[in-house]
Amino acid sequence: MSAASLPAGLVIPPDLAIAPPTQDILSNVTPKRGFVGYLRRYPMIGFGGGLLLVMLFVAIFAPFLGTKDPTALAPALRTREPGAEFWFGSDMLGRDVYSRVLYGARVSLLVGFSVAFFASAIGLTIGLISGFNRFADSIIMRVMDGMMSIPPILLAIALMALTRGSVQNVILAITIAEVPRVSRLVRGVVLSLREQPYVEAAVASGTRTPTIIFRHILPNTLAPLTVQATFICAAAMITEAILSFIGAGTPPTIPSWGNIMAEGRALWQVKPYIVFFPAIFLSITVLAVNLLGDGLRDSIDPRLATKL
Amino acid sequence: MWAYIVRRVLATIPVMAVVALFVFSLLYLAPGDPAAVIAGDQATPDDVERIRASLGLDRPYLVRFGAWVWDILRGDLGTSIFTNLPVSHMIAQRIEPTLSLMIVTLILAVSIAVPMGVVAAWKQGTTIDRLVMAFAVLGFSVPVFVVGYVLAYIFALELDWLPVQGYTPFSQGFFPWMENLILPSVALGGVYIALIARITRATMLEVLSQDYIRTARAKGAGQRSILFLHALKNAAVPIVTIIGIGIALLIGGAVVTESVFAIPGLGRLTVDAILRRDYPVIQGVVLLFSFVYVLVNLVIDLLYTLFDPRIRY
Repeated sequence: MSAASLPAGLVIPPDLAIAPPTQDILSNVTPKRGFVGYLRRYPMIGFGGGLLLVMLFVAIFAPFLGTKDPTALAPALRTREPGAEFWFGSDMLGRDVYSRVLYGARVSLLVGFSVAFFASAIGLTIGLISGFNRFADSIIMRVMDGMMSIPPILLAIALMALTRGSVQNVILAITIAEVPRVSRLVRGVVLSLREQPYVEAAVASGTRTPTIIFRHILPNTLAPLTVQATFICAAAMITEAILSFIGAGTPPTIPSWGNIMAEGRALWQVKPYIVFFPAIFLSITVLAVNLLGDGLRDSIDPRLATKL
Repeated sequence: MWAYIVRRVLATIPVMAVVALFVFSLLYLAPGDPAAVIAGDQATPDDVERIRASLGLDRPYLVRFGAWVWDILRGDLGTSIFTNLPVSHMIAQRIEPTLSLMIVTLILAVSIAVPMGVVAAWKQGTTIDRLVMAFAVLGFSVPVFVVGYVLAYIFALELDWLPVQGYTPFSQGFFPWMENLILPSVALGGVYIALIARITRATMLEVLSQDYIRTARAKGAGQRSILFLHALKNAAVPIVTIIGIGIALLIGGAVVTESVFAIPGLGRLTVDAILRRDYPVIQGVVLLFSFVYVLVNLVIDLLYTLFDPRIRY
């Protein structure tokens, strides 16, 4: 507080010591609100989401990013090292690895997003039914227990063995393998929400069951479900690559990261770049989704943030 | 106590029944007609019909399921369409490499991940903690075959310390066996380590905030004894549970790891069977892996009293 701000008429004697002004500790803290503030508080959402958006951009605009036809054969130009002509090199059939990797982003993202969506939707339905109907619950949960005791990748492999390799079938197989976990999660949330006082109040005031489910229970399952969906998306992209890699996934005519790696496998000791470029893209994309999921989880439940 | 064990063991029966029904339906729904395959190109429709009847394939679904379960209980997993060998025989031939890989990975992962999680919880918020957590996220994100290729490239091709691929049976000595298993185990263990380290850290943070830890500190117990005697013991149940559940990751990952490192185990058998559409083999392997998985988790459930004497049934 300086002398200038003193009330008029008050004169400080010249020999009087004045305490230095105390710092206003609250002045600098202006809470950032809105979207920007949200991203600053949870940087992982911004980082992961941003990275994912870049990948999405790459996937959508693959034809305009200096790519060639990803399936065009050029036997004379096979297994060229990465350079000016082939940025990521060319594979044993002379196809441009750069173009194939960029187009491969389409398959991975499509499978990841589709599985996350369908598994969440189906799991949500099953979880709600099972959380509200004890008879259905006893049957559904036995079936889910059984399905969960088959390791998910193995289950997806077994399902793919039944069908022709196609992107739709890959999505279907991975979705089936992921549904039991989602159902369990939703069922758990529903069972705990049912005990909440506000649901009890709704029941007491005569709200009908469908209204309770759709207005009071469903909205509260969406937050944990969204977090789970991002992790499913990440797992689905890895599973898709694994299925394609072992030859039980996307047909070889479609460039997917798993397929490119499977084709590069025979030559990887001499031409490692054919395997490594799709591997790097796959890892970065999955990392982006996982970071997004971690960030979302922290923002939904800040108590977990310091722990998990 | 005994009543609980009996109840818990009985509870696995419906689970295994669902698995069996699912796996059986796989063969039932599989495209292709085994009778026509066995009869060959020259067979008349009558021949095919006779073979179908002799194989029992003309019976209804549930009757066939019952017969199939009965066969399995006697140890008969059917016959491979491709090699014409009994599936149980083929599995027995391939089980050693897979079992070796999984056991080595399990030991490696647990002995790395648990201390990692403990230290991260102890040093919460420091650089060490951040590094462990960053590793955990990476472990979840980098697929097992990517880790496999990177490791093989660095340690086998560039540095030439370890063999690139292959498998040496245990009977030929511990070191040749181990040499071939190090890279695959590290690759396969990545996700598993990440999972266990994360859960260990979370559980330890929970436990370390308890009153008895403060009491232990107050009475002058050393840091190491607090962490590993007082805290880890009380964190054991969730950690052991996640080790059991995570075995599903090992099983799924083994299929891929064996392909990358050319290990002639059950994973390779599965991949080969898929490429040849050899359904009885696929069926047998899926059934075996699921059974082992259920069994391991059953044993872990039953061992809870050992890790935590407070648990009484």
